[in-house]
Amino acid sequence: MSVDDRRVWLLIAAIAVLGAVFIPISQIWLDIEYDYTLRTVVLGSSILGIISGVLGCFAVLRRESLMGDALSHAALPGVGIAFLLAGRELGALLIGAGISSWLGVMFIRSLLSTTRIKQDTAMGITLAAWFAAGIALLAYIQAVPDASQAGLDTFIFGQAAAIVESDVRLIAAVSTVVFIVIIVFWKEFKLVTFDPEFAGANGFRVTFFNTLLSTLIVIAIVLGLQLAGVILMVGLLIAPGIAARQWTQKLDQMVILSAMFGAFAGGIGAALSAIDADVPTGPMIIVVAFLIVTISILFAPGRGLAWTFLQQSQDRRRFAALTTLRDLYKYATSHGGATHPVPASFMAGIGGASVDVGLAQLQRQGYIERDGAAWVLTATGAEAAARDVHNQRLWDLYRAYGDELGLPTVNEDRQRAIGDVLTVPAVTKLETLLKGQTS
Amino acid sequence: MFGIEMVVIDLLLNFFSREEINTFLRDPQVTATIIGSLIAISGALLGTFLLLRGMSLTSDAISHTVLLGIVVAFIVMTSLLNLEPDLSSPWLIIGAAAAGVATVVLTELIFRSGLVKQDAALGLAFPLLFAVAIILISRFVDDVHLDEDAVMVGEIGVAWADTNSHCLSNCETVTITPDDERAITARRCVNCTAENIYPRDEGAVFEEYCGNCGTYSPAQAWSAGLLETEPILVFWPRSITVTAIMMLLTVGFVVLFYKELKLASFDDALAKALGLRPGVLHYALMVLVSLVAVGAFDAVGSILVVAFFIIPPAAAYLLTDRLSVMLVISAVIGSLGAFFGYDLARGHFLGIIEMDSVLALINRVFGLQLLEQWDSSISASMVLMIFIFFIIAWVLSPKYGLISVAARRANQRRIFDDQVVLGHIFNHQHDESEIMELQADDLYQHFLWSQQKMARVLRRLRTSHLIEIANNIVRLTQRGEESVQHFRQNNLSEHIV
Repeated sequence: MSVDDRRVWLLIAAIAVLGAVFIPISQIWLDIEYDYTLRTVVLGSSILGIISGVLGCFAVLRRESLMGDALSHAALPGVGIAFLLAGRELGALLIGAGISSWLGVMFIRSLLSTTRIKQDTAMGITLAAWFAAGIALLAYIQAVPDASQAGLDTFIFGQAAAIVESDVRLIAAVSTVVFIVIIVFWKEFKLVTFDPEFAGANGFRVTFFNTLLSTLIVIAIVLGLQLAGVILMVGLLIAPGIAARQWTQKLDQMVILSAMFGAFAGGIGAALSAIDADVPTGPMIIVVAFLIVTISILFAPGRGLAWTFLQQSQDRRRFAALTTLRDLYKYATSHGGATHPVPASFMAGIGGASVDVGLAQLQRQGYIERDGAAWVLTATGAEAAARDVHNQRLWDLYRAYGDELGLPTVNEDRQRAIGDVLTVPAVTKLETLLKGQTS
Repeated sequence: MFGIEMVVIDLLLNFFSREEINTFLRDPQVTATIIGSLIAISGALLGTFLLLRGMSLTSDAISHTVLLGIVVAFIVMTSLLNLEPDLSSPWLIIGAAAAGVATVVLTELIFRSGLVKQDAALGLAFPLLFAVAIILISRFVDDVHLDEDAVMVGEIGVAWADTNSHCLSNCETVTITPDDERAITARRCVNCTAENIYPRDEGAVFEEYCGNCGTYSPAQAWSAGLLETEPILVFWPRSITVTAIMMLLTVGFVVLFYKELKLASFDDALAKALGLRPGVLHYALMVLVSLVAVGAFDAVGSILVVAFFIIPPAAAYLLTDRLSVMLVISAVIGSLGAFFGYDLARGHFLGIIEMDSVLALINRVFGLQLLEQWDSSISASMVLMIFIFFIIAWVLSPKYGLISVAARRANQRRIFDDQVVLGHIFNHQHDESEIMELQADDLYQHFLWSQQKMARVLRRLRTSHLIEIANNIVRLTQRGEESVQHFRQNNLSEHIV
C-alpha cells in the first residue's frame, strides 16, 4: 500500500471518527437534543449523502455536473402527474418523479444527437420546460379545494423534517439496490466514464451503460428531492465528489471518500439545522458540503491551493537566495576575492524585493554575514558560490558538447548539481573538458 | 424611475382617452402579455449571446443567486437603515445585480484554481449562494413579500393590480397632522416586544399616537374618503415600467455594442487582439442578465425567467445561421410565447384545443375524477408555449429540422444507391461478364440488397432514362453514360478512376 493510499484510508477513518465524536460534542455545546424525529432525519440525510456522494463522483468525472440540476428540476411534473393519478403516496410520487427526469435525460440525449445544440443549452431547455410543466401542474392541482395536496411543493424546496421512518427504510432499500448495481457493473461504469471510445471499440455497450448510469443518478436525485429540494439537489450530488477528487487519483478511493463526505455533510448538516427551528435542513447540508469542498480545495496534499502556494513561495525563496549569492560572489571576486565585502547599497541598487528575500535566506543559511554597511560571504558561503559557478559551467559544457561527448540526454535542470543527474564517468568527461579550456 | 411613466402617459393621452387607457391596462391579459413580451425580448437578446458563448446555464445560476442579493439588500435596508423596501426598490435591484456578478466571479475563482472543471464550478457556486439566501430568509426575514415561493414562481396574473397612480386633474394631496380634526387617535403598547408580553398582560405601558397621520397622494386620499371631488387618475402597472426599462437597457446595449458582442462571441482571441476588451463586455453582459433576472422575477419568478433566456434563442439557433436574424427570431418567439401562454393558462391552447375537454377525455379514458377546469400558472404556461414553439422549430426547421434532415438523408441514400448501380453497370457492360453481372432479375444478389430495393432503384433509373433493359440485360442509355462520366470526373478522386 503506497503512502498516498494510506493517507486516503486515514482520512476516511478520520471522518468517521469526527462524525462519531460530533454527536456528544453537539449535545454538550450546541444543546442539540437527538430525539426520535431528529435521529430519523439525520439517519435519512446520511444515507442520502452516501448515495448522492457515490453517484455524484460519476457525474463530476463525466463533466455532467449540471445534469443533476436539470434532472432534479425535471422531476417536478412527474410528481404532479403521479399525485393526480395515485394521490399522496410517497412511492408513487417518487416513481413519477423518476420517470419524468428519465424522460428529461432522453430528451437531452436526442437533442444532442439530432441538432447542433450544445449540452448546456439542451440541459437548460429541459430544465426550464419540465419545471414549467411541473409548476403549471402544481398550480392546477392546488386550485382543487382539497387539503390532500398540501406539501407537494416541499419537493421544490425540500423539507427534511417531513422524513419519517418508513421513508428512511425506502431510501435504504433503494440505495442498497443501487450499490449492488454499481458493484456488479463497476468495470463497465469505470470504462464508459473515462474512455467511452475505448469501451465502444472493445464491444461494451456504451449507450446502455450510459443510460444505466444516468438512471442511477436519476434515482439518487429523486430520493434526495424530499430532503434538499430541486434547486439544492445538484449541490448535494456533486459537492462530495468534487471534494473527494482532490484527495485521490483512484476511482475506488474517490467513490468511498465521496460517500463518507456525503454522509458527513448530510448527517452533520441535518444535526446543525436542529439548533434553531428557523434554520432549514437542506440549505444547511449544502453549506456543510461546501465547507468540505473548500477545505479539500485548500488543503488536499499535493494538489490543494495551500500546498501549491507553499511550494511556490519555497521555490521563490530558493531562487532568490541563489541569484543573490551569485551576485554577491561575482561582485566580491571581481573586487579582490571571494570574501571581499559587498556594500549593502550595491545590493539594494540591484533592486527588487527578491534581493531582500535572498539576503535574509542566505543569512539564515549562514552563507553571509553583515559587516557594518556591507555583506561578507562566509567561508561556507564562498564555497557554496564557487560550487554553483562550477556547476553552471559544467551545465554550459553539457549543453554545448553533450552530444559530441556522447553523453545521455537528460532534462537540463540547472537548479540541481550535475552530478545528481549524470553518471560519474560522464561528469569526469565534462571536468576534463573544463580543465582543458581554462588552462 | 417611475417619473418616466408620466411622460409615456402624456404621450398616450394624445391618442387615447384616460378611460381607454385605464380599462386597457386593467385587463389582466393585456398587462400580463405586455410584461411577458418585454421580459421575453430582453431574455431572448441576452440569451442569444449566452448560447453562442456556451454559457446558457449561467443564466440559470444567476437567476437563482439574485435571491441572495435581494435578501442581503433587504436585511441591510430593514435592519440597518430602517427602510421599508419593496421588490422594485433600486437598492434591491443593485443588490441583485451584484449577486449575479458575484456568482460569475465565484465560479471563475473556483474554476481558475484549476482543480475543478467549469460545469462543476458553476454547480458548486450557485447552490451555495442559494442555500445561504434561504437560510437568511428563514432566519431573519419575516415579510410576506419575500419568501421563496414568491421568488420562484412570481405571479404575472396580478401584475395589473400593482399600480402607480398618476393624477391628471383635481389633484389634491392631503396631509393630516395630529392637530387636524380628522386625525384618529390610537394606542400602542410601548414595552410589549421588549419584555415579550401581550398588550392584555399587566405591566403593559401604552402611548397614544395619531393613527392616520401622514401625507396622502390624491389616489390614497380619495380611497380613504378624504376628498370630495374624485381626482382624475391613470393607473399604471409598475411591472411594465420595470420590465420596459430592462428591455430598453438590453436593446440599447445590444445595438450599441452589436459589433463587439458579435466578435467576442465568435472569436474571443481576435476581439482581444483588436483591443476590444471582451472581459469588460463579458461582465457587462452578466450585469444585464442579473438586472433582467431581478426585474423579471417579480413577474415570472426566478426559475421560469431562465426559460426566456434559453429556449427562444435555442429555437432561433435551429432556424437560422445569421446572428441578426437569430436575435429577431428569438425575440419574436419569446413574445409569441408570452401572448399565447396567457391563453394556455386559462385553458385555451392556441385556440385549437380546450384543456377542459382534454381533462374530460382523460377522466373518461382513465376513470379519474380530475377537476375539469384548467386554471394554471400564467408564467409557467408562457414557458410551456415557448417550449412548444421550440419543438415546432426542432421538427420543422427548413435546414436543421428533424423532417428536413431525415429527408436530406433519405435523398442522399437514394443518390448513393443510384450511383452504385450505375457504376456497376458501367464497369460490366459491353464485356464478356455482361451476361453474368447485368441480369436485371438477379442484379440484387451482387449488392446483397433485397429484391424490392433493387426493383425500386431500377424503376427510378428507368424513369429518369438513365438505363434501359433489353432481353433482361441492363444497359446504360446515352444519358446514363454521360451521367457516369460526369460523376467519375467530378466526384471521384483520381486514384479510384
